[in-house]
Amino acid sequence: MRSITAYCQISEDACYVNGDVVAQKNEENPDSWFKQLYKDLAIEYPKFYKMDMLSQAGFLGSEFIKQTYPGLISSYAEDEVALLFANSESSADTDIRFKESYQDKGSPSPSLFVYTLPNIVLGELAIRNKFYGENMFAVLPKFAPDFFLQYGQIMFETGSKAVLAGWLGILEGKVEVSVFLIEQNKPDGLQFNKQNVIKCASPDDQA
Amino acid sequence: MTYIGAEEIISPLGQNIQENFEAVRENRSGISLVPKVGFNKEDIHLAKIITLIKKNKFEFLLIDILEKVSKRIDASIIPSEKTLVIISSTKGDLDRDISSPFAPAVAALMKYFNLKSQPLIVSNACISGVLAINAASNFIKAGLYEHAIVIGCDVISDFVLYGFQSLFAVSALPCLPFDKSRSGITLGEGCSAVVVSKTREIYTSSPLELLSGTSANDANHISGPSRTGEGLYRTIKRTLEQNSVSADEIDFISAHGTATVFNDEMEAIAFDRLNMSDIPLNSLKGYFGHTLGAAGITETAISIQMMHHNLLVKSLGYSEAGTSKTLNIATENRTSELNTILKTASGFGGCNASLVFRKL
Repeated sequence: MRSITAYCQISEDACYVNGDVVAQKNEENPDSWFKQLYKDLAIEYPKFYKMDMLSQAGFLGSEFIKQTYPGLISSYAEDEVALLFANSESSADTDIRFKESYQDKGSPSPSLFVYTLPNIVLGELAIRNKFYGENMFAVLPKFAPDFFLQYGQIMFETGSKAVLAGWLGILEGKVEVSVFLIEQNKPDGLQFNKQNVIKCASPDDQA
Repeated sequence: MTYIGAEEIISPLGQNIQENFEAVRENRSGISLVPKVGFNKEDIHLAKIITLIKKNKFEFLLIDILEKVSKRIDASIIPSEKTLVIISSTKGDLDRDISSPFAPAVAALMKYFNLKSQPLIVSNACISGVLAINAASNFIKAGLYEHAIVIGCDVISDFVLYGFQSLFAVSALPCLPFDKSRSGITLGEGCSAVVVSKTREIYTSSPLELLSGTSANDANHISGPSRTGEGLYRTIKRTLEQNSVSADEIDFISAHGTATVFNDEMEAIAFDRLNMSDIPLNSLKGYFGHTLGAAGITETAISIQMMHHNLLVKSLGYSEAGTSKTLNIATENRTSELNTILKTASGFGGCNASLVFRKL
């Protein structure tokens, strides 16, 4: 029996954990929306400021889950947590900025270039949480619950004990983010099926 | 059993697998000095398909490779709901639509071949190809599909070249994997494919057996390889354990070997930790350059050919040991019984992947 034991959704103006609002964007605040969320977490992780928005999105989603359920993810051994992420835009948000750096601003920026791959967020999550497990980042034409359902099950069947999954829709101001944790043999949570993947992760069905 | 075969390659070295393998066995390189392409209009060594000047190169290559693959298998499986196409690519057709680098080409591919299932794009930096083959094997073992056509493709763009230049990671000479004088990568472009299936009969020539592969993260740095080779060490260890294959059964390693100082050193450390430093090894980057999303599939395709020909192909560009742990790098072509091969890859984001295939 596998279940979604926690999920975090972030839209352009609100952040939800398990469907409940945990933060709302303050339009008066000069900080960016993601910086506001980072400050809400009250953690020390200066590397956050170096990340692009795609990596920040995955980071924030997983940190809000961890804050709501301390110990949830850290209860696994190093190799046991698999990372399964997808979106439609790849790293386009940063790709556009990197292209501007050499077309309009004089020289290609190495600090932007290193974020021009969508799987960099998996590296950031692995570094933050010491995950040495499986990695998969897929680019899909649109949100596809079957992809998470099928490949999530495959990850369990090939030895992972938990799957941290997410849909990271980030492009030029658009924020359609969900991060969810799939575990097995847990009493709580939503059954890991198509309806619940849609409920927890679909950008069209945010809380 | 899961099979792998019907390997095909389009690269600067040739338009099909025969031409490519012929070039590799003659130790010819696809790398040439291309004038004035660098960010400061400097000449750069690239493994560029000079004849490929079409618009929408990425789409053209995807369709071209699948045409070639269709002649190596029972083509009726292509428009079947039991078949999944998996595409491995880092940047797709970035110059066509930066906000949607894959969708237009994939839609064209679907239409051209009347594909029933939406292709899956695996985009995990330089491990994409190996990871895509592993995904194919996993989908088939799980019973979700019977066949998977795995295509790797990336084309050279200003974007990627300027990016690697900005990291000072581009070699002034054709790249020298594992060599003492190595100083960076040579970018390449190409498209390659393999077919993974549970049915041996779909292949027009004999396939090999594909064992399950794994991936692992270094959990160390997003753009620098681990100093301990952690993720590479772990993925190889897991792949061997899951398939009950011991290191001494591996006849040959098709390594990643990008020719950056730190990557090759990292690989040497990981192989040493696994007591695999004596196993013959090569990097094919000296032939094809670094083709990013296509690399893992191209190198798997050449390794399959090496097994069919029992020919261990030398690692082009290597002459003197240049890693802290000594590796057994192939310095000459030599006839050798190759039954079981390990393929590895490592990439940005700290990712690493490995797979094993062997003769039936």
